[in-house]
Amino acid sequence: MTWYEHSSAPWVPVSRRLIRARTITLWIWFGLLIVASSVLALLGDEPLLLIVPAVLVALGLWFSWIIVRQVTAHAWAEAEDELLVRRGRLFRSVTVVPYGRMQFVDVSAGPLQRAFGIAKVQLHTASPHSDASISGVPADEAARLRDRLTTRGEARLAGL
Amino acid sequence: MPDTPVPSTEYSAPREWTRLHPITPLLGGWGILGLVAAYFIYDRLPGWVAGDDPTFDFFDQFPVLWILLAAALGVALVIGAGVLQWSRTEYRIGDDAVYLRQGIVTRQQRQARLDRLQAVDVVQPLLARLAGFAAINIQVAGGQKSGVMLKFLRLGDAEALRNEILYLAAGVTGDDAGGEPGVDVTPVGGDQVAGDRVPGDQVTDATEAAAASSGVLAGLGAQLSERAQALGRPEDVLRGTERVRTRVAAAPEREVYSVPTPRLLLSVLFSGPAVFLIGAPLVSLPFLFLLHVDVFAAVGAVLGTSLVAILSALAGFLGFFWQRINGGFGFTAAVSPDGLRMRHGLTQTRRQTVPPGRVQAIRLYQPLLWRRKDWWRITINVAGYGEDQESVSVLHPVATREEALTAVWLILPDLGDPDPAGTLSLAMTGRGDDGGFLTAPPRSKRIDPIQWRYRGVRATERALLIRSGRFTKELVVVPHERTQSLGLQQGPLDRALGLANVVVHSTQGPVRPRAEHLDMQDAFALLDAQAGRAREGRRRQTPEQWMRAVGL
Repeated sequence: MTWYEHSSAPWVPVSRRLIRARTITLWIWFGLLIVASSVLALLGDEPLLLIVPAVLVALGLWFSWIIVRQVTAHAWAEAEDELLVRRGRLFRSVTVVPYGRMQFVDVSAGPLQRAFGIAKVQLHTASPHSDASISGVPADEAARLRDRLTTRGEARLAGL
Repeated sequence: MPDTPVPSTEYSAPREWTRLHPITPLLGGWGILGLVAAYFIYDRLPGWVAGDDPTFDFFDQFPVLWILLAAALGVALVIGAGVLQWSRTEYRIGDDAVYLRQGIVTRQQRQARLDRLQAVDVVQPLLARLAGFAAINIQVAGGQKSGVMLKFLRLGDAEALRNEILYLAAGVTGDDAGGEPGVDVTPVGGDQVAGDRVPGDQVTDATEAAAASSGVLAGLGAQLSERAQALGRPEDVLRGTERVRTRVAAAPEREVYSVPTPRLLLSVLFSGPAVFLIGAPLVSLPFLFLLHVDVFAAVGAVLGTSLVAILSALAGFLGFFWQRINGGFGFTAAVSPDGLRMRHGLTQTRRQTVPPGRVQAIRLYQPLLWRRKDWWRITINVAGYGEDQESVSVLHPVATREEALTAVWLILPDLGDPDPAGTLSLAMTGRGDDGGFLTAPPRSKRIDPIQWRYRGVRATERALLIRSGRFTKELVVVPHERTQSLGLQQGPLDRALGLANVVVHSTQGPVRPRAEHLDMQDAFALLDAQAGRAREGRRRQTPEQWMRAVGL
């Protein structure tokens, strides 16, 4: 069975550069662990311990695949009155945030994300449970999206 | 700061920076001494009880005089710190916000914007209550720690400040909103309104004889005699219905329900912890005899070795009972143009005012043991209450079916259904699709074997009802216009069965509305429909309707 589709708004997938950004972060950590465990195994002269880096490599490859799957599932859609955010493969979710309920919008980008020209757009409502963040929005689009959201939010702002 | 505020009966909310009542240092800060004492007991008691220290050589080590001196020093330090803090704490009220600045080393200023006001509580801890003082807690929307807490003021002043804050928040502004009673907030005598007001009314005559005197000493004298009078009616003080003099009259209120003490005590007795506490010894006794255990020796050994552990476990249970009894004691709810008023508490009393339309979601909950009595515990989400959930987010600690319906009606006078009582009853204890409930499909029993038949969702014109629970029953009601955002979720098991969950995001609080294990297509449809209803609700939302429906 297919997953939720909004009747009018098409899904906009996030930038695939997010895959690279996340994979690099992942492999920086795994690389450190793999090198450290290999060095330990070789220095200790315990060839059996080389299983550890081997497992780490396998795990890293698996996580990389998960990153690809997750990022390709991540998308947003701007409907007339709401913003929709879709995420996840194994645990799928769709969050529907009315523009009138947005308290504020955050745009943030770490050094790696900036290097890839992407940013994270986070919407805040009065509810701590509405997890409406879009990672991997192209930087220029992120700024435009924020402005659009803010304008629409002001136009439709309702009380709590 | 020219001088400290004179405790006079001519209180009006200060427009200039003003300090709190000078008694504040004496009322607060004792908790730290309690902590020290508790640590001490924790440290010493096991030794004494176990008999390791039969001569109490602690007292030989430190003579009584020294202990007294240390205690005096401790008290002096607490009071000194309190005075310093008090002298650096000031508040004032503006037409659009309440301001507070405080801090000894780092100064901080806070403002609670009145257009974001969610609730105003007048809180009286035991000590403050006996002395006739109160703290006022102003809750606003907008993240944590955005509220303002003023402690302490005289009870009458706190009530007056609350009335004025609500008056301003209701949109009435003007030069004399606080200084002079406005046309429509004339202070009225208790006798005049006795006919159409409930006994719980807190407003009394602002023109009593005591009001005539002014100046510190006269004011103090009046205050003392007034306090003596108040304590002459201990039952009023105990039930929190003490009458106080306020400058700006409170909006008239009408009592809707109150909780009888016997019912509250029974409800605590019929709770899980109570059953465990009573049942565990009964169940274990036969085993002890069967296994020929020397009961007294065993109990003695356990007491000797782990008294502190047992005491703290017991304290956990007692804490639960205490919280339920203390929080629900004398619980009274009333309606007024300022919104919902709730009053409750045994040692610490709390008078809450939640303006119309501030309740974000309602949860009716029935533990298994309450089934026979058909009792319900009703909690609410109010933005701003957030953290301090257990004591403040209760709409009714133990409601009968009728009271539960009334409580929902208080929040949602118009449920948007031709037969609100029938629909709510089905939503509380119904099962299956009676009454047009959208249910979880039979295949969901593979991951939800117990309650799948009892799950149900139904939207009326004004609210979404989510029912669940087989042994313990739960109903969540979310007004459409209070929906913050919506979510659709699906885990791998749900996916294998073609199911999905719809989540309604409410503000922080004890209510987490969630319709689980719906058929995927039903869930998609519900999400779309609910988004539409929330949109519609936001357009319609007008707080005035609340008053009209209540008919005050």
